[in-house]
Amino acid sequence: MADLRELAAAIEVGDRTSAVRLTSEALQASVKPQEILDAMTDAMGIIGRRFQDGDIFVPEMLIAARAMKEATAILEPVLVEAGIRPEHTAVIGTVEGDLHDIGKNLVGMMLKGAAINVIDLGVNVPAARFVDAAREHGASLIGLSALLTTTMPNMRAVVAAIKAADVNARVMIGGAPTTPEFAKQIGADGFAPDAGAAVDLAKQLLAAG
Amino acid sequence: MPGMFETFGRGGGTERKPSTLAKLDRVRKTFRHEEADRVPISDFFWGKFRDRWRAELGLPEDADPYYHYDLDFIVTVPNMDPHIRDFETIREDDEEVVVKTGFETTIRKRFDLPMPEQVSWETDTIEKLEAFEFDDPKDPRRYLSAGDNQIAGVGDGFERNSPPWVETVKSLYPDFPVFGSVTEASEICTRLLGQLNTLMWTGEYPERFGEQLLRIGEFSYEIAKAQIEAADGLLDGLVIWGDVAYGKSLFMGPTYWRKYYKPTVARIIELAHQHGLLVMYHGCGNANAIFEDMIEIGLDGYNPLEAKADLDVVTLRERLGHRLTFCGNSDIRVWERGDPDEVRREVLHRLRAAEGGGYVFMSDHSVASDVSGHTYDQIVKLVRRYGTYPLHLPTE
Repeated sequence: MADLRELAAAIEVGDRTSAVRLTSEALQASVKPQEILDAMTDAMGIIGRRFQDGDIFVPEMLIAARAMKEATAILEPVLVEAGIRPEHTAVIGTVEGDLHDIGKNLVGMMLKGAAINVIDLGVNVPAARFVDAAREHGASLIGLSALLTTTMPNMRAVVAAIKAADVNARVMIGGAPTTPEFAKQIGADGFAPDAGAAVDLAKQLLAAG
Repeated sequence: MPGMFETFGRGGGTERKPSTLAKLDRVRKTFRHEEADRVPISDFFWGKFRDRWRAELGLPEDADPYYHYDLDFIVTVPNMDPHIRDFETIREDDEEVVVKTGFETTIRKRFDLPMPEQVSWETDTIEKLEAFEFDDPKDPRRYLSAGDNQIAGVGDGFERNSPPWVETVKSLYPDFPVFGSVTEASEICTRLLGQLNTLMWTGEYPERFGEQLLRIGEFSYEIAKAQIEAADGLLDGLVIWGDVAYGKSLFMGPTYWRKYYKPTVARIIELAHQHGLLVMYHGCGNANAIFEDMIEIGLDGYNPLEAKADLDVVTLRERLGHRLTFCGNSDIRVWERGDPDEVRREVLHRLRAAEGGGYVFMSDHSVASDVSGHTYDQIVKLVRRYGTYPLHLPTE
C-alpha cells in the first residue's frame, strides 16, 4: 500500500532512495499522479518554511530538493501522459559578468519543488538571452541572480530589456548584494533573500498575474 | 594580470622602519581594545581597482595603495594547494585561460570578468575525497620556492609562478606589519570539491564528511605551523580564510560547525598565540551564530563583516562589547556609488565602533573595480582625519 506521508517524509529528510522507491510504489498502486506530485510539493513547502525559520540549513534543503528531483524523474512521464503540465515556467540565470551559481541553483531546485517548470540559463547570461528564453518557453517568471556588487548593476539592463521587449513575465531578483530597494529601483517585481523566500515570492507574483 | 594577492614589497631584510613599528603598535593596541594614536586601516584591493586608482589619481604605474597610504598591515598567502604542481594549461587565448591547478580543479579565468569559474573537480565523490592524499604541508616549496598556486594565482587576476612566499614576507617586513594566512576546511573544500558537493555531502553524509573536514583541518593546522616556522619570526599575525556563511546565516547548522570546523579554528588560534601572532578570521556572510564561539576560542579579530549580510559593526559592538575586534564592515556598495556625502556618512558611522579600540577600518569584503580611485582617496583621508584618538565624531 503506497503511503504518500512516507514519501513526503523521505523527501523532507533528503532520503532519495526511499523517495524514488515510494514514488514507484505509489504509481504501481495506481495513486493519481497529481496526488503524488502534491505530496512532493507539500513536502518541499515544509522544507522551504523550515529553511526560512532557520530550523534547517542549506545542506538539508539541497538533499531534500535532490530527493524530489529524482522522484519527480520517474513521475514526470506519467504526468505528461495524464496531460498534467506545470502551470508556470520560470527562466532563471546569473547575470552577465557573474559566474556564481550556487544561489541560483538553489532557487531553481526550490522552484522545481513547487512544481514550476524551470529553464536554467546558467551563469554569465546576457540580457538578450533572458528575453529570448522567456519568449521561447512562454515564461511567466524570470529570476535574476548576482553575487558581486560589480555585476549587480547588470540586473538593471536585463529588466530594461525585458520591458523593452514587452515580455509578459514577472521579474524577481536575489543574491548577496541585492536588496528590496534595489529591486524597486531597477523596476523588478520583487526581491527574495533566500531560496525558500524565492518560492513564496514566485507564488505571490504568479498569483497576482 | 595582477590580482588581489600580488603583494610583493619594495624592501628587504629584517630591519623595520620606525613608522612600521608605530603601525605594529597601533594594530596591537587596537586588537587589545586600547585606543592607539588612530584607527588602523587596511584592505584587500582588486587588481583592476589598482589600475583604475592609478589612472584616476595620475599615479605612476608602480604606485601601490599599501605604500601610497602607508596602510597599517598587509596579508600574504603561501602555497596552500593540496598538491604542489604547476598549473596545467588546457586552453589559453587573448580572452581566457583554462588551467588545472594543485586542487586538481579545472578553472576558467576570463580576463574580462572579475572572478574565475570552477569548471570541474577531479574529487567529485566522497570516496575520492576519502582517498585523496594531500602533499606534505611542511614541504619547503610551499614557503621557499616560486611556483603556481591557486589561491594567489587565480582570483580577480591571473598570475603564474608566484614569488617565494618567504621572500614576499621579507620584502614587506620593513614597511608593514605582515600577516600570513591559512585556508581552513570550508575554503579548501570549495576549491577541491566545489561548493555544491561540499554542501550536498554535508547533508548526505554528515558524519562521514565531517571526518574529512577534520582531516582537512589537520592539513590546515600543519600549514599554519609550517609557515610560522618558515617565516622565522617575521610574521605579526595570521589570517584564517574560512567562509562558512552567506547573506542570511551559516551555510550549515551551528552545531555541525561546532563539531567539525571549530576545533581546527581553535587549534590554529592557539598555535598562533603561542607564537605571539594576532589572528583575524575572514568569513563572509552573516556569521552571527558563531561570534560567541569565536570569542570563546580566543579569536582576536573578525573580517569582513559584510554590510550586505545585514551586519553593522556599531550594533555588534553594543551586543558583543570589547570581546572581539571588528575588521571591516564598511559598505562597499556605498563606496561604489561614490557619492561624497554618503561616503562621509558611511565612514563616520563605522568609526563609531572604534571608541575604546577594537576596530580596524576596512571595506566589508575587498575594494572592487567599481570603486573610484577618488572615492578610496576620500575614504583614507576621512579615516585619518576622524579616526584619530580621542575620537570626536561629528553627527553623521
